[in-house]
Amino acid sequence: MNGAFADYKWAALVSDWTVFGEGFAHTVLVSGLALLLALLLGGFFGVLSSGSSKLAKGLARVYIESIQNTPLVIQVFFLYHALPHLGIMLPTFAVGVLGVGVYHGAYVSEVVRAGIQAVPRGQLEAAYSQGFSFWRAMRHIILPQAKRMAFPPLTNQAVSLIKNTSVLAMVAGGELMYQADSWSSSNLYYGPAYVATGILYIALCLPLATYARRLEEQTGVKG
Amino acid sequence: MKRFYALLAVMMMGLMVITSGCGSSKPAQGAQSGVAPEIKAIKDRGVLKVGVKVDVPKFGFKDPQTNKIDGLEIDLARAIAQQVLGDPNKIELQGVTAKTRGPLLDNGEIDLVIATFTITEERKKSYNFSEPYFTDGVGMMVKKSAGLSALKDMDGKKIGVAQSATSRKALQEEAAKVGAKVQFLEFGTYPEIKTALDAGRVDVFAVDASILSGYLDDSTLVLQDRYAPQQYGVASKKDNAALTKVVDEVIAGMKKSGELDKLIQKWGIK
Repeated sequence: MNGAFADYKWAALVSDWTVFGEGFAHTVLVSGLALLLALLLGGFFGVLSSGSSKLAKGLARVYIESIQNTPLVIQVFFLYHALPHLGIMLPTFAVGVLGVGVYHGAYVSEVVRAGIQAVPRGQLEAAYSQGFSFWRAMRHIILPQAKRMAFPPLTNQAVSLIKNTSVLAMVAGGELMYQADSWSSSNLYYGPAYVATGILYIALCLPLATYARRLEEQTGVKG
Repeated sequence: MKRFYALLAVMMMGLMVITSGCGSSKPAQGAQSGVAPEIKAIKDRGVLKVGVKVDVPKFGFKDPQTNKIDGLEIDLARAIAQQVLGDPNKIELQGVTAKTRGPLLDNGEIDLVIATFTITEERKKSYNFSEPYFTDGVGMMVKKSAGLSALKDMDGKKIGVAQSATSRKALQEEAAKVGAKVQFLEFGTYPEIKTALDAGRVDVFAVDASILSGYLDDSTLVLQDRYAPQQYGVASKKDNAALTKVVDEVIAGMKKSGELDKLIQKWGIK
């Protein structure tokens, strides 16, 4: 028996499981930090683009449009291959967190903006009348209400973010996809390698996606 | 959460059924007399499908000006087509990479891979390899400005290799011998490793020396040392023994007649 999924290839996978374990841990770590960065960026620019200042809105638009309208691969290549020519040598791990985090930050901004816009305008006016500043009104009045609307799409963003870390395989990122490529291209046991990798990504993403769907049902937002 | 794990278990079982099904589908062995069914299939089709490199000058390289693929390995494919089909031009070439050549053979998209494919014991389990038609050592390209001249200078350096890690394994052993601790970074294609070398992401670009020469420019140099001779073989599907036999005959014949040496000279490969 000698197909792409022959028994001895599965056996090799099992005995080399640490390679995949290492990649999996790396993916989890990069995803976690990138998600944190994306939430910070998204929160900041999302609020900026719902304010009244034209300059702030313009700034947020430039960030969101330039990131959303170029492929993640190009952005990661830029960080990895181009920045060193300008004298900036980011470690590969930082390229991963920064690349994926900034990319999804743009999408999170739009989610946050949509959430804020769903809160009735009167809420902000009421906050102003009570002496709140713009940022304090956002922090205490608007964002807590916007959160309810924004949470399900945010969770979907987290799922995309995890999957998009696989782009780092192209720049020797050391994450799950890279380890799968590396392992399977030397021994050519690509069948088990990519099935196992797929299952590991499912194990990460499916609980999040299920959680998002449940949240949507609770908040009455139908997809 | 319980429901989620149940779902995951069902999906895994489904996958196992699918994959074990693939593993056990074994084509029937044809009659021993006359032409083997695998050869007959190629004859009926009238064309030999070969996977070759398109980014390795002198071996398999697609000229961007003429859009034609040419090189030593294409000449080999022609010689095999001559033997099987009686016409050296009845070949259909397809560009492959280290990552795609295995799957393309397995799913029958191509009959042969002649693509700087190093013969290893591990790979022999999955594919048939012909006898080697070329032997090459791993070479190292560095930036002139880096001041590196041998493997012993490379302690703490990063070495960029291609994702088909025979060169990685070879260098790791050699580096350990001279007491140099090196780190390896793997990339999908050769141009990507060169880009990483230019950017200073890696200090060394290490692949088979004959491949390296195609990427040499003013700012880089290739070190003299060669490591771990790599033997290139023509690969075919594991159950396609008949075709491998024909390929072996062709290569043995070319070696004997001196034709192979002439071809290697023609392409200027040392």
